[in-house]
Amino acid sequence: MRFMMITAMGTALVLAAGPTWADAAAGKTAFAAKKCTECHYTDGPAKEKTIDDQLAKKGPELWYAGSKFQKKWLGAWLADPKPIRPLKYGTLNKKNPGDHPKLAGTEAANMTDFLMSLTSDAVKAGMVKVKKNIKGKQIFIKKMPCSGCHQSPGRKGKITGGFSGPSLVGAGKRLNPDWIYAYLKTPSVFKPVKAMPTFAGILKDKDMKNVAAHVAKMK
Amino acid sequence: MPKRILIAAAIFAASLAGTGDAKATETEKVFKFYCAQCHGVGGKGDGPNVTEDFKVSPRNFTKAKEMNKLTDADLKNVILDGGPAVDKSPLMPPWGKTLTGEQVDGLIKHLRKLCNCKGKQG
Repeated sequence: MRFMMITAMGTALVLAAGPTWADAAAGKTAFAAKKCTECHYTDGPAKEKTIDDQLAKKGPELWYAGSKFQKKWLGAWLADPKPIRPLKYGTLNKKNPGDHPKLAGTEAANMTDFLMSLTSDAVKAGMVKVKKNIKGKQIFIKKMPCSGCHQSPGRKGKITGGFSGPSLVGAGKRLNPDWIYAYLKTPSVFKPVKAMPTFAGILKDKDMKNVAAHVAKMK
Repeated sequence: MPKRILIAAAIFAASLAGTGDAKATETEKVFKFYCAQCHGVGGKGDGPNVTEDFKVSPRNFTKAKEMNKLTDADLKNVILDGGPAVDKSPLMPPWGKTLTGEQVDGLIKHLRKLCNCKGKQG
């Protein structure tokens, strides 16, 4: 009897764990069915080789979404998307229309599982210690041009910064700190053609970590 | 001159002109993609990042008077190493690890076209 009970419990555990896989698979199917592929590609490595390639894209590449985003944020965003970029993707003169499709609860959860399964080996865990980082803040707002293109929360929560890059307001909940560092260190892996300057070779390695820590604290 | 040589010369000249056009078009693309964020598509210093929060006025490349104070080497310097390299704002990024040498040379020609000036000779 005891053996049967253990077996039954084991089966129940396997069943409970099972839907994680089923969800990601359902998310993958839904990604294609809902035509998300028209704006986002999910098979890496990066495909863009020229400015034309980059400008032809209607939305960001998602082949490393699981390394870039935080799961909790992604699930909530897919269910209730709000613009991240002030400007429409790939443009400099059109406001982001904020018309990203919204997914219902289960769909959002399945899609989140699928997207979080897409990772890049270039992102190593545990590289960035997330805590208040004065050096990173100085680089971000004074020494380097980050604020010229990215909005971020300033004193008393006032949002300042430029419009051409994605907003970093809420980046602490949105981005994986280790991805921020990996992107600064090896940008061409993720975005071979991008409007943001390459800082690798200009900033020291430890300062890229400082900046990543600072961005990862942004509320 | 035999007709054949004339035709060959004409084709050669046309191909050279074509290469020049292609390079200029490519440079315009580079300018629009990287520089226009702050300097504006027309180079007047009015890109979308220039809001009231923007602490400096990005250079208006169409002002010949200001652009004539700079040599091509000055332009190259600031493009590669950013504003602080010429005692200007760090909001002008260092593009040295982003752009190729050919792209930078193309941009300098483009800026000279925008200001319709040759710049300080030095």
